[in-house]
Parts: sequence; C-alpha cells; structure tokens
Amino acid sequence: MPPRVQNQLVTNTLLPYLSSSSTSTSTISKIPTQCSSSSITSTSRRTCRPFSSTVASQTKLRNEMFTWLNGEGAALKNHIPGSTNYLTQIKERDEQPVGRTRPFPLNQNFVSESILSEELRNEIYDRVVNQKKSVRAVSVDLGVDMRRVGAVVRLVELEKRQKQQGKSLALPYARAIHEMVPTTPLYEDTRDNRNRPHESINDLPVHKLTDPQIFYPVSESRQFNRVDAGRVFSAAPALENKQVNDAADPAEAVSRITQNPSHIEKVGKGEAEQQVLQPADARIPHPHLVAHERFRQSRPTEYREIFKAYNERLRQEETAEKERKRLAKERQDQQLTKVQPESSRFEFRFKDVVVSKETTGTDGRGSKAPGLRYGVPSYERKKGQVKIPTRVEV
Amino acid sequence: MVVRIRLARFGNKHQPFYNIVVAQARSARNSKPLEVIGTYNPIPQRPTNLSDEEARSARPYKEVSLDRSRAKYWIGVGAQPSDGVWRLLSLAGIGDGRTKTKN
Repeated sequence: MPPRVQNQLVTNTLLPYLSSSSTSTSTISKIPTQCSSSSITSTSRRTCRPFSSTVASQTKLRNEMFTWLNGEGAALKNHIPGSTNYLTQIKERDEQPVGRTRPFPLNQNFVSESILSEELRNEIYDRVVNQKKSVRAVSVDLGVDMRRVGAVVRLVELEKRQKQQGKSLALPYARAIHEMVPTTPLYEDTRDNRNRPHESINDLPVHKLTDPQIFYPVSESRQFNRVDAGRVFSAAPALENKQVNDAADPAEAVSRITQNPSHIEKVGKGEAEQQVLQPADARIPHPHLVAHERFRQSRPTEYREIFKAYNERLRQEETAEKERKRLAKERQDQQLTKVQPESSRFEFRFKDVVVSKETTGTDGRGSKAPGLRYGVPSYERKKGQVKIPTRVEV
Repeated sequence: MVVRIRLARFGNKHQPFYNIVVAQARSARNSKPLEVIGTYNPIPQRPTNLSDEEARSARPYKEVSLDRSRAKYWIGVGAQPSDGVWRLLSLAGIGDGRTKTKN
C-alpha cells in the first residue's frame, strides 16, 4: 500500500495533533508544520511532495470524521462545567444542559452513575471521624452504601496524610472530572440526602445457596415462610415446633439473628458444614430499617416516638456489633502470645495450634493439622493456577 | 537413636517456611516426620492497622504456631530440640528457659 498523502485541506481545531503534515498552515497558524515554507505558493495541489504524481486522497471515512469534528462535534471540545459532556446530548446541549446521563447513543440502557461530590465526601468523613458516628448511621443518614462510607473514610485519611507529607495531589484532574460527571450533592437540609440517596443502601446480596430452583411440595395446611424457605435451600430439616412468637414480633426475631450471628444453626458435617440460610430480612445490610418502617406504619402520627425507637434500635445494633468485635479480638489475643526478646529486633508471635487425631485425621494428612502437609501435592507453581482473587465475599 | 525436634524447610526459593517437626535424628530433613507440631515463618512481617504512635514503636514480627502440650510431651520423653528450635521453645516458655550450652 502506498503511503497515504493528504492533499486536502484539513482544519481541525478539536484534535490538532491528528492533522497530518500536509495540511495547510494558513488556517492553523498555531501549529508549525514542516511544509510551512512550501505552502506559500498555495497551488491547487496543497502537498509537501510537489514532484509526486501519486494522487492519494483521504479515505471517505476520514474525511467524514474531520467534517464531523469541525462541524457539530466541535461543540464537545469544551465541556460546560456542571453538566456531562456526552455524545448523546449534542442536540439538546444548549436547551437542557443538565440531567443527561446516557453517554452511548446506541446503548440507551447504560446510565452513568453519579459520584460523591466533594462536600458530601467531606461530610461523611467528618461524621465518622470527628462526630464519632457509626458507619451504619452515616450510611442511612446520607444514603451511601456502608462499604462506600468505609472507603471514603480511608481515602480521605490517605489524602490528608499525603498533604501532610507534602506530596502533590492531582487536583486539576479531580476538578475536571467532577465538572464533567454527574455528582450527588450534599443538600442543605441533610434529610434530602436520605430521601434522595446516592445509591440503594439496602440491597440483598444474592446468596449462592439460592441459585438452584427447588421444587418443594408443602401441604396447604402448613405455614411456609421465608425462614422455612431458607432451611429448604440449605437442606436443613424442617423445624418441628414452630416458634409462634416469631410471627408476633418479626423485628425482634430478625434482630435476634443479626445481633448474635454465632448462634445461627449449622448443618452439614466436617468440611461441608455451613450456616442455615437466614431469611432475607436478616441478610440485608440494614435490617433495622425494616423494623423502623413497620413501627412507623403502626404509629403514623407519633413522630417523636418513632424517632426515639429508631435511635434506640440503632444503638442496640451498634452495641451488639461492638461487643461482637471486642469478643473476636479477645479470642484472637488469647490464642496469641507476643514475645519481644531484648536480643532481637523482632517480635515473636506464638499461636496455639492443636495436633490431635481430630486435626490430623486417621492418615495424618488432615487439612486442619498445623504445618505444610506431607504426601499432598502442592499446585502452587503449576500452570493455570489462579492466584488473584476471583470473587469478593460480601 | 535419638528423636529430635527440628525444622523442616518448606516454601520456595528465597521464601523459607519451616515445619517444626519431631523426627528421628538420622532421617533426611524433609522426610516424613513422626509428628508436625507447628510452623515457623522466619520472614519478618510488618504489623498493620496501627495508630501512628503504635506504628513508631512496633517491631516487625515472626509468626510461630506451636502445639505446646505436644512440645512439652516430646521433651518429656527425651526428644532433643535442635539449636533453632531450642531458641523458639525457650521464647515460648517451654523447657527451663536457659539457653542451651554446648558440652
């Protein structure tokens, strides 16, 4: 294929680096090209190769591209701060500058999600770190997922440390991005943040056990609810005597589960042992919100009462969580002995393990036994071993 | 024949990792031992999740896992710890605590 020579005038202000060297400099005075001296003659064939007899024109598509870039596409060169700069909005750009969130004209199902604005981000950090509110409470109040709240706190902390160390931040970049993508503002009345949340905060994660479709015949006379469905999914035997008070106060039943997760019944033997799948009301991130809503329905006018009950419920949830964490840490510390010898730079951490028939198994190859195992091939260096995590445990 | 408590090297190149094993003294280093009573990771780990003050005084740590009751039992029936294991056991408070003297 012969080298493609441009012999057509290309004026492109949007992508100046795209225009080839043969473009006339008379229109783009800013960009010096190598043929600037020869173009003074302004012959009919504007080319750097005056002796070449080859007439090679640009392809049609390329021509059209430059036409578009100089025509209607030129509108996208500079973004309007505070509105998105998407291809789909060229026509209605001037009429309705905000509220366009679909970047791809041929994929109307793709919606670009908004990001946290700078103020909302700082508010989250302030509430968690300075006001010592729990992640759960902040998540509900500002309508941001609990994991995102945690991430925001860590990242703001990191940013502060970088500032302290005098490292440079990519502030112009951040500013430009915030101008161009949709953002969730911090409303003046922060109750609005709760009413118009950044994202859905109470999504039920899909549990692996619920994947199979199970045909489970139940007699009509029997009550079959979510708890029973969970037991069927995890192949646990049906409950003999139903706890009647569960139906009387479902909120209490759910909080009993969420506040003592270690009391959840287990089924299966040995390696296959797992907890019985709990009803959806207990597995969502904020079970107390369901209880709150139920309470509100029953007492529509007693605002103060509702508010008080909500705070009480939140407090209970938080204390249970704190207690659980404390116990876990205590248990871990109990198993761990830390020794700091004077003669060494290092600390030695001794963990207690158990060597017994239960851990090593009858053949001595049990996976619970301490140490690397004998007679069990290690596939560590084998081809095709996936070592990066392939899924996230929620 | 003497029974020893010693280290058996596992892990990869430049990544040592040891099993603390009870084995016949004349058997090969990585042959199947009588019993595995723990592990020792000699590569110092940096402690994480610390506050600023804690991080200043924190030492890098080496992880040892050990079944104390089995270690005590084997020493009680006359197993001889090797030098390295002797050091670890005395740090863990097993044995009489004094350093081993060469006879």
